[in-house]
Amino acid sequence: MLLSPATGGNLTLTQRDRRFGYLLTAPGLAVLLVVITFPLFFTVFTSFYDYTLLTPNHDTFIGGENYQEAADEEYLPGSLWVTVKFVLASVVIEFIIGFIVALSLNATDRFKTVYYLILLAPLLINPVVVGLLWRMLLHSELGIVNYAIGLVGIRPVSWLGDPTIAFWTVVLTDIWHQVSFMAILLLAGLAALPREPYEAARMDGASPLRCFFYITLPLMRPVIFVALLLRMIFAIKTFDIVFIMTKGGPGTATDIISYFIYRAAFFGLDIGRASAMAVGLLIIIIVLTALLYRYMRSLN
Amino acid sequence: MRLFIAVAAATMLFASVAKAETIRILMETVPDTRYIQELLPEFEEASGIDVEIEAISYIDMHSKLVPQLISPQGSYDLIVVDFYWVGEFTKAGWLMPLDDLAARDGVNVDVYVPKLMDLVGRVDGVLYMLPFYNYSMALIYRQDLIDDPAEQAAFKEKYGIDLRVPETWDEYWKQVEFFTRDNDGDGERDFYGTVIQGQRGDCISMQWANYLYSQGGRYHDENWEPLLDSPEAIRAMEYYRDAVVNYSPAGSEAYCFDEAFNVMAQGRAYSFVTFNILYAGFEDPESSTVAGKVGITPNPGGGLNGGWGWAIPNSSPNVEAAWTFIKWAENPETAKRRALLGGAPTQAPIFTDPDVMAARPYYPVLGEILAGTQDFPVFTYTTEFVEEVGRELNLAAIGEKPIPEAMADAQAELRALLIKDGKIAE
Amino acid sequence: MVAQLLPHAVLIAFSAAILLPLLWLLRVALTDKTTAYKIPPEWGQASIGNFVEIFTGYPFFNYFINSVTVAIGATVIALPLAAAIAYAFARYNTGGMSLRLVVLSSQMLPPVILVLPLFTLFLKAQLLNSLVGLIAAHLTISLPFLAWLLVAFFDRNIALVEEAARVDGATRLQTFLRITLPVAAPGILAAGLLSFILSWNEFLFALILSGPQTNTLPVGLSSFQTHRGVDISLLSAATICAILPVFVLLPFMRRYLIKGLSLGALK
Repeated sequence: MLLSPATGGNLTLTQRDRRFGYLLTAPGLAVLLVVITFPLFFTVFTSFYDYTLLTPNHDTFIGGENYQEAADEEYLPGSLWVTVKFVLASVVIEFIIGFIVALSLNATDRFKTVYYLILLAPLLINPVVVGLLWRMLLHSELGIVNYAIGLVGIRPVSWLGDPTIAFWTVVLTDIWHQVSFMAILLLAGLAALPREPYEAARMDGASPLRCFFYITLPLMRPVIFVALLLRMIFAIKTFDIVFIMTKGGPGTATDIISYFIYRAAFFGLDIGRASAMAVGLLIIIIVLTALLYRYMRSLN
Repeated sequence: MRLFIAVAAATMLFASVAKAETIRILMETVPDTRYIQELLPEFEEASGIDVEIEAISYIDMHSKLVPQLISPQGSYDLIVVDFYWVGEFTKAGWLMPLDDLAARDGVNVDVYVPKLMDLVGRVDGVLYMLPFYNYSMALIYRQDLIDDPAEQAAFKEKYGIDLRVPETWDEYWKQVEFFTRDNDGDGERDFYGTVIQGQRGDCISMQWANYLYSQGGRYHDENWEPLLDSPEAIRAMEYYRDAVVNYSPAGSEAYCFDEAFNVMAQGRAYSFVTFNILYAGFEDPESSTVAGKVGITPNPGGGLNGGWGWAIPNSSPNVEAAWTFIKWAENPETAKRRALLGGAPTQAPIFTDPDVMAARPYYPVLGEILAGTQDFPVFTYTTEFVEEVGRELNLAAIGEKPIPEAMADAQAELRALLIKDGKIAE
Repeated sequence: MVAQLLPHAVLIAFSAAILLPLLWLLRVALTDKTTAYKIPPEWGQASIGNFVEIFTGYPFFNYFINSVTVAIGATVIALPLAAAIAYAFARYNTGGMSLRLVVLSSQMLPPVILVLPLFTLFLKAQLLNSLVGLIAAHLTISLPFLAWLLVAFFDRNIALVEEAARVDGATRLQTFLRITLPVAAPGILAAGLLSFILSWNEFLFALILSGPQTNTLPVGLSSFQTHRGVDISLLSAATICAILPVFVLLPFMRRYLIKGLSLGALK
């Protein structure tokens, strides 16, 4: 029916392709329209109004005032900087470890299921519990980690009390929790690679390293791109681990943007201002995504 | 898979079909919530009202409540409100005044401790809540160490005064210094005079309040003029920083009350300024190695008052049934039985009730602690204030900001919020 | 030889880093809070009391079923819709880059901002406190996520096979269903698994849009943070009980997850 010759007969091939594309996307977009468009427009709309939880209505249009207020926030630039550092550190390290693990798994047959199960385990623990678990393990006085490193003569570390260390503690906790996300994705990419190029390369006597750089990496590029992009977007939204482990402290060392916006909305009661910050963030991420996407395409 | 769907369908059905009279209550995971749940079958049988209690963590309560409250019709008939939110909730007009209901049914609200009525009862003369639960802050200390003759002698020799339950801050601080020790002789302290709960946000805000009161400091004067850069406030922060650096575990600037509790519960600290309800945890061998060895006393100079109150939101679908429930939960008999189970009383007679005292001998002290407490600033932006001041205090506690500068910034934050709330003029 | 051992060495080290904290979690689940925090560690008497209590004293089973229902529901609904969108994006570049960005844009907003309008919407649609509502809310996460992810698995390698099929007279739809989907199966299943996990761990929507009957595991587990401290032993026991059943299902999926069908098989 979709492709009945009667209606399709006088269309060109490209037109038919295009129509088929829209037909495929229609059901999904219809669902998205319902569940996403409204919140999205609500947020953009609200960011121009004096909408607080005390007066939750769109009676007072205030133009760009919320944006001005957000820009004047003394601690906002610091929070953005923490977010940038956090996203870069966690995504890059997760990518490197995740890729190594995925390559190893792809090259293994024995115990593969066992490894895969272990790999999956942290992902099944929700972030609130991950935060509480690591808070217990890293307790400066009663944590098993400080006890264990003490056995080999290392002095106890103030994992969450020292600003610099606390930042890396949060990053490492996130990596422990999320690195498998990257590994699973990359492994699926590796599993779907065609075998032929490798067979040809082996006949030519290419080294495994050459195979990796000249066959695996180029073929994996779409998967790598989307894995990095999606992990980046999720990392920007990281909330629970910080909320449970540090509340943005010590000082402002782990005060990432999602918690900053959360405070503006639910503690500051100012949904308008929080929406303005969220829209600002949205624009930044869209631009970043578009640039990454362009760059990705230019490689092909 | 089919099983999942069947169970899911059953669950959804159950959720959407309300019984003849069912009330839904949103509560916090405090011990008293469990006691209420234990006694609940009696109420359900007597009243014919089914009660569904949803107990969630205190850190999630506010986010869960607010969307419910701003809607014309919420899912909850009855809620409990932390004192943090009293200003905000009443200003927004989310809570229903209870004066008429109380007068109609002759509910005597004079039985409540006045401090709690002021905190989580009346606002500007209107009854919005009935005090449900009290978590005022106090000093929890190691009674066995104070009673130890050897310690007494050594203390007397060092300071020239007796070692006893501290009554003044100066006395307490000497004890904090005295008991901080390096027992295994490795050059680092391993027994602590006090434990700090210094994590940014409400953990440090709540504990530091006690330090402020101990120095005779206040958050604001009678006209809401903020006083956070006063000499008393600065001195309070100096004590706090002193504790972080010298008398509390390294890393305690990131503890919240659970981490700090465990340090003391593992027998590694002499004292802990914290919520009085944690005392029961220290007395429980399942969570503490020092059961039977701890005492509780008012924080020298006064502790922070804290509590939760029952409130009926204006979005409540069933006001009458909710009110029937409050009347049951707060009638003196139920209140007493809750206290016997270990609950935190809010009605004055219960603290000194003979049966309660027989079961829980320290309850009169809890009454004393409550009587000596002071209030946190309660206004529309209390929650935001807790966060803002919590940031400045934490910056000072970790040494990233000089104390006078941090207190000046805290002062500016409080002033700005009070102006926003219309409490003071610009 | 080295080439064979190296992956195992990597995987054993990695597994140890993941397992050690989890073994500690198991230990805590088998003891009380006092013993859990003893340093140097004391093992004490292992007891399954905490496991019993989470089933008898808490609606743990209910949380679990709710979580599984919502996570599977959202994934099963999102997967075909997203696969169709992704295929159109990958093969026909439908809507160009702007449509792709629109699809993903809601994912770029912090959930705390999205939850208020969703609450308002659900209140009007009477979807609050229902699993259907929660599934719909989780679609806002899984659908864009899957749509973007799957594009990567409908790449050029498959396009070549597709062309061959088209030459043989298959329609576009037939090609998509019979050629592309099977070849991309490992990617689709991995994506489905990750989408399940996103939904499984989602907290804020579940907190605000659900009620006592429809609370999911993250909300239920969070309530072990009480005003008297964290019930760490119960929390650990509950966490372990939440992970284990999923492991039972996994070996069945394994074949598809890590092997998939190679292109060669289809030629």
